[in-house]
Amino acid sequence: MTLTILYGFTIGAILYFISIGLSLTFGTMRVINFAHTLTYCIGVYMLITFISLFKGNFFPSAILAILAVIPISYLIERFIIRRLYGESLDYTFIATFAITLIGVDSIKWIWGVNPLPLSDPIGTQLNLWDFTFPVYRVLIVTIAIVLFFALELFFKKTIVGKIVVAALEDKDGVRCLGVKVERHFLIVFILGSALAGLGGVLYAPISSVHPYMGLGILLLCFAVVIVGGMGNLRGTFVSAFSLGMVMAITARYWSQGAEVMVFIVMAVVLMFRPIDI
Amino acid sequence: MFKKEETLKPGTDPGPLITAEEFSHPKSRLAGYDFLIIAGAFLLLATIFSTHRVTDFMIFCIFAMSFDLIYGYMGRLSFGHLLFLGTGAYSSGLFIKYFHGNPLLAMLVGIVAAALLGMLVGAIVVRATGACFALMNLAFNSIGFFLVLSPLRGITNGEDGFGIHALSVGFFNPASKISMFLFVLFFLLLVFYLLKRLTSSPYGIMIRSIKEDEIRVKFLGYNTYFYKWLTFVIAASLAGLAGTLTALNYKYVNPNVMDVHGNVGVVFACLIGGAGRLYGSIVGGVVYMLISNFLPIYIHRWEMFLGISLLIIVFKFRKGIWGYIQEMEEVRKRQKVVPEIAGKGVAQR
Repeated sequence: MTLTILYGFTIGAILYFISIGLSLTFGTMRVINFAHTLTYCIGVYMLITFISLFKGNFFPSAILAILAVIPISYLIERFIIRRLYGESLDYTFIATFAITLIGVDSIKWIWGVNPLPLSDPIGTQLNLWDFTFPVYRVLIVTIAIVLFFALELFFKKTIVGKIVVAALEDKDGVRCLGVKVERHFLIVFILGSALAGLGGVLYAPISSVHPYMGLGILLLCFAVVIVGGMGNLRGTFVSAFSLGMVMAITARYWSQGAEVMVFIVMAVVLMFRPIDI
Repeated sequence: MFKKEETLKPGTDPGPLITAEEFSHPKSRLAGYDFLIIAGAFLLLATIFSTHRVTDFMIFCIFAMSFDLIYGYMGRLSFGHLLFLGTGAYSSGLFIKYFHGNPLLAMLVGIVAAALLGMLVGAIVVRATGACFALMNLAFNSIGFFLVLSPLRGITNGEDGFGIHALSVGFFNPASKISMFLFVLFFLLLVFYLLKRLTSSPYGIMIRSIKEDEIRVKFLGYNTYFYKWLTFVIAASLAGLAGTLTALNYKYVNPNVMDVHGNVGVVFACLIGGAGRLYGSIVGGVVYMLISNFLPIYIHRWEMFLGISLLIIVFKFRKGIWGYIQEMEEVRKRQKVVPEIAGKGVAQR
């Protein structure tokens, strides 16, 4: 049972990394970004490439992979997402889905269709009282918690963060103060994509790697964002960990039902609190 | 580059220019003219490609029209409409497998099952709009996909699916390809007729008004929830019809019929043909089926092609093929009218 809880926290942490970007993109730009997990997927494939370059050295290649995601997300924002500001939701949906299709096909082109193996980079177990924990999972949860506080600081103390929070509340008001909102949106988008890349890089060693991996987790992240509230950062944190726990506990008793249980929770939440978006 | 004024406008595409008169009394030209064109076009396609394939095209067109009722007419994008197609296919298939081989009875069972599920899901889903609506549909679709794949494995045979042996009834013999083709063509025309009547009736005006501005319709005292729910149920039962036809046509059902990722296809079909126009969804359905059937043979990277063409549609070509044709017609009419007016002006002077 302790192990189940740890697994729940791990999945929750990964969901948190990926959902932040989704939530921020929606809150500031009102764009539902279907292409969000594309950067997650690209991060993983970059990681695989860098690992083979660095002869199995995990951590430097992970950092490089996350950095490699940044120019790609810049291109996506600059040429596609920026044109979608203020558009109706269906068109943003379809345009970003088109980006996903192109991206997944490019991945298949470059790296091939077959799943690639990637093993736990630390592999040691932590013995604590009677239980053994894989160190890697503990590390992921720690990073998530550190990241939560770092983001809280970022949005409270730095001027960029303050502008973004203000834009979440009232975009036009901020624009009236003479702030170039688009530039800050770009920063937010790149930050979100890099965090999705981080999530991918951390999650890849304990899951399978294939070109369509982004689509599966995207639906879970949408559930997280909807349950937590669009553009609500603390809500995202809480809902990511609670849905991760729901997944882990369901998987313990009924392994195939884990993802479906998340959707059931989401449907129940939406029934009582529909969001008009 | 894009224009700022255009992007700030809320709502979807402006649609064809119509007056209030036309909006409330659309031209209902229900002569055999439309049917002849559609039937003729599909017969022509059947001579070019194989009959079986064109039957498949027509079933997809029925599905696209049912999707268009929700998306094009009511303005709600659903990402889980395949759930109802799958329900229709599975319930009719299971009826044939376990109870009786009569295909017509099985179709009835399939449609009723899809309609019942539509009533249930619709009651929950219809309250949401925009992205919420799309994602809730997606969630229900993945729940359905999961249900047939794993907990109901005992009866649905899981991933492998099961074969169907339907008996022949009267003229209709599911084993014969020609008979199947004519049968599906009949249903395509029937659905076309029904939807044409429905969308040009006062009810049709109601759902289009909901698309334009739901709050105003509410202010007028209408119960919009009921109309949205009704539309959802109608669309679900028509999708169920498409599902039963799919099962009869392939004589085989497996979970792929309600695969969540398949929903992109029908959205693409509606967009490329022109959303909110019945002809548009038929044209779009045929174009999409042609692309997905033949493009992978010639172009290896066909998903990338699909993505790029979707982007082009969204940024440059929102009206779709049929909308484009209509626009050309309007321009031609205006060009005819302008010289007349100009001539009058000269005469008066």
